[in-house]
Amino acid sequence: MINMKLFKIAIFVLITLLISGCAQKHITKADAYPNMYEELPRSILALPPMNESSDAQAKDYYMTTVEVPLALSGYYVFPVEMVSDIMKQEGVYDTEELYKMPLGKFYEYFGADAVLYTRIKKWDVSYMVLASSLTVSIEAEIVSTKTSQQLWRHTGTVTVDLGGGDTGNGIAGLIAKVVIAAVNTASADYVKYAHVANNRLLSTIPAGPYHEMYLKDQGIELGNQRGYR
Amino acid sequence: MRISKKIKVLFPIAVAFSIVGCVQQPQALYNYGDYSDSYYANKKNMSDESTLKLQQSMEQAIEKAGESISGRVPPGMYANLGYMYLKSGNPNGAISNFKKEKSVYPESARFMDRIIKKVELVEGKLK
Repeated sequence: MINMKLFKIAIFVLITLLISGCAQKHITKADAYPNMYEELPRSILALPPMNESSDAQAKDYYMTTVEVPLALSGYYVFPVEMVSDIMKQEGVYDTEELYKMPLGKFYEYFGADAVLYTRIKKWDVSYMVLASSLTVSIEAEIVSTKTSQQLWRHTGTVTVDLGGGDTGNGIAGLIAKVVIAAVNTASADYVKYAHVANNRLLSTIPAGPYHEMYLKDQGIELGNQRGYR
Repeated sequence: MRISKKIKVLFPIAVAFSIVGCVQQPQALYNYGDYSDSYYANKKNMSDESTLKLQQSMEQAIEKAGESISGRVPPGMYANLGYMYLKSGNPNGAISNFKKEKSVYPESARFMDRIIKKVELVEGKLK
């Protein structure tokens, strides 16, 4: 009898967990980013990314992929290259320094409503015997220059298999695979995948004032952002 | 009879063409052209050639701004071009583009005013 009761409780707990697990996937943009809809920033200053990856050039390359998708989501985006150069002229060389600056300064100098911080967590190729894969992983947040509140935050990872297609069975097929993996790895164009990672990342941002969905996308579900490729 | 047969043949073709036509029409909010690619190419391998290509892609994005949903020049593009002019020793071209940026996007006014002032100050000293 006790066992039956325990069993019933266990089933109930399991069902509750399942339901709450499902419910989490149906978060709307308004649920996820209420501060964004409250503050309604018009302009975003994208700062040079913080590079935590092992590739020294990742920062420069990644920078070229930010401006376009951010603008296409409806915000005024300050010219990335110019901003970065001017910060250097003002004596701020390190991104670390830039990330410690009081947010009010960005409004004072540029008139930016919000700042976009990005961290490159991973930007590398992992070599394996038969195949190799490429991973670009980005963490980003938008913070208000007026209230210092976090308005939006997201992480995006893109992994691409560079192993090439099916090359048939047998030793010849295996050798072909190794060769294809080596060639693909050498010519791997990270930026292409950084673009993909970025588009996924930035697609969760509520639409800005220049977008037709401005203020109309609160009810849109974010969907399952994890597990994509 | 003959005509209707022709119409029967032509109609699907016409429909197909009109669909293709729809697909080809601009879908994006702005027309960036190949700005993104030439920006990356310039970062990857900075040369006079890649710099010129980047400048041309900016000029083209501005020229063909009409081929987009908004019909507007993308945010920051006038400023980007102005900055290129500034670096290549054309301060007047730079200032006029900074002013255009401000007029299309008032959000940039504070930044553009600051830059214009800076350029004018440096130019004044040179004269």
